[in-house]
Amino acid sequence: MSETQTEVFADATQVGGSGDVMIELDGVHKYFGAFHALKDINLNVGRQEVVVIIGPSGSGKSTTIRCINRLEKHDKGRIVVDGVALSEDVRNIQEIRRETGMVFQGFNLFPHLTVLENITIAPRLVRGKPKAVAEEKAMELLERVQIPEQANKYPGQLSGGQQQRVAIARSLAMEPKVMLFDEPTSALDPEMINEVLEVMMDLARESMTMIVVTHEMGFARQVADRVVFMADGEIVEVGTPEHFFTNPQEERTQKFLSQIL
Amino acid sequence: MISAWLKKNLFRSTGDSILTVVAGGLLGYAAFRMLRFVFVTGRWTVIKVNLNLLITGAWPQEELWRLTTVILALAAMAGLFMGLAAKQTALEAADDDDVEPMTAGERARSLVGRLWPAAGTVLLLLLLTETAGPWLLVAGVIVVSAVGWFVGKQLPLKAKGALTGGGVVLFAVLIWFLTLGVSWNSWGGMVLNLFLAAISIVLCFPFGVVLALGRRSEYPIVRGICTAYVELFRGVPLLGLLLMANVALGFFIPRGLVPGNVVKAIVVFTLFSAAYVAEIVRGGLQSVPRGQLEAGRAMGMSPITVTRKIILPQALRNVIPSLVGQFISLFKDTTLAGAALGMTDLLTGGQVLTAQKEFRGQGLIAETLIFVLLLFWAGSFTMSQESQRLESRLGIGER
Repeated sequence: MSETQTEVFADATQVGGSGDVMIELDGVHKYFGAFHALKDINLNVGRQEVVVIIGPSGSGKSTTIRCINRLEKHDKGRIVVDGVALSEDVRNIQEIRRETGMVFQGFNLFPHLTVLENITIAPRLVRGKPKAVAEEKAMELLERVQIPEQANKYPGQLSGGQQQRVAIARSLAMEPKVMLFDEPTSALDPEMINEVLEVMMDLARESMTMIVVTHEMGFARQVADRVVFMADGEIVEVGTPEHFFTNPQEERTQKFLSQIL
Repeated sequence: MISAWLKKNLFRSTGDSILTVVAGGLLGYAAFRMLRFVFVTGRWTVIKVNLNLLITGAWPQEELWRLTTVILALAAMAGLFMGLAAKQTALEAADDDDVEPMTAGERARSLVGRLWPAAGTVLLLLLLTETAGPWLLVAGVIVVSAVGWFVGKQLPLKAKGALTGGGVVLFAVLIWFLTLGVSWNSWGGMVLNLFLAAISIVLCFPFGVVLALGRRSEYPIVRGICTAYVELFRGVPLLGLLLMANVALGFFIPRGLVPGNVVKAIVVFTLFSAAYVAEIVRGGLQSVPRGQLEAGRAMGMSPITVTRKIILPQALRNVIPSLVGQFISLFKDTTLAGAALGMTDLLTGGQVLTAQKEFRGQGLIAETLIFVLLLFWAGSFTMSQESQRLESRLGIGER
């Protein structure tokens, strides 16, 4: 039954997007040793669409998005990002990674580099941008996440919320077509969550294609075009936020939502 | 105030007081004996007369000018680099409002704090000499490096790459220039220890880093080779390797191709230390969280870029203390080259002195050993000081 529902909503990829498919996961399986982490994941994400993935821990949410930029290697199935199919070829992988920004739960800023260097390092080394151009762009991005005054500090001198905003700016500096968010607010103190969510909302408003793994239901309700619920490595239910928060169909979805809402 | 401090720290209870008196007495007696030896009973003529032997060993006197030239050239180069580095630091400090630029007084104090053991030792050596040559050399070094510093400050920051390349070439040329006059077998004294240590450190460091990376390679063959190398060289005594290079090398390669002693020693020290450096660096690599690698990869950086720009800088910074410990150890181990290869390095030279005709049988071994050990201590301590400075400078991001 979840099978048919996945099918139905996979056809409804166009929901919030512009129409064409940006990311395609087709029958994706992933094993960690004997553990079957992802079981036949079928998910399409449209251009400019915001998809929020929710679910209990260990349900395969993070693994799903980490497969998209090959931080995890999927064992079966097909993953296509903007028309480029993910293959074994290193160049192909790097091409997809250049187009896909990722924001991590633990920020993963480079502690030995200043904020400005954190943001400019990839554009300079990967895209070959001149220093001045990369720095100008970096300052623009820092304005956008509202911490231009921190440009010459080191990550260790910033608060968690500021660090995560720098991490978002760092990803955006590569001018990606898709942004992947892996529980971006889970490591933050409560009072810093909003400053990060606001930046993400801005991004969504500017029509960035986003996949967000999060426990922030308010964000899901407000920003998502579609919400995907995963449990035990499967996609259990897909739907619009209203569908999800007012009328969830699956028992596991209902149980999960009743626990966290 | 002083009495309060004394009471609090040294005489708080009867037990404390007894400890203080006993320990103070012992320490005072030891200090007295030491000072009396250094200033009254010590017979330092043996050092004074043989200073040349201790510093340059069997180096032919008529070829000393080559060494002088090399030292001056190195001083000029060091001055250039430091001038350029100072310019860079000044520019960075101007960028960052949090960092106050150092005043002249602070800079002078920091220089004295860093260099007093080395400077003190040089001064001691100068006071012991009876010729003007060394004084002129030191004056020359100061002048040349100061000129280099000012020139370096005028250079554009971009010149760093060219300067580094030029430095490497110059160094090779200088070594070739030395070999023109002096055979690899007639090096000796402190110059030999310093040279062996400097070259071996410079060579074993990159080699060790490559080995460490190789041990974490995803290719089993690379991993296997690097692991085997490290385990092999860590498992044998250094002295054994040196003896082998001296004696057994002749069995394996034609006589004519056997390199001179200095080259043999450098090869052995490099191969041996690289194994230790590899393990230290591997520890550093493991200390960098996996998220760093993922963040680099997620932005499309190649594995080489991630390693060079993200992982290694953090890994190496984390292991500076252990690395410098290894280098200090290497510096002191250069004395083994004297023992194993029959060269008059500083320590061997010191022992030889007491067998000279005019000093034989006078029990002068204490004087020579103290002098020799003082020189080693000054070198090691300077390395240790510099490493702490490096640590605190690189530690900025850790706050």
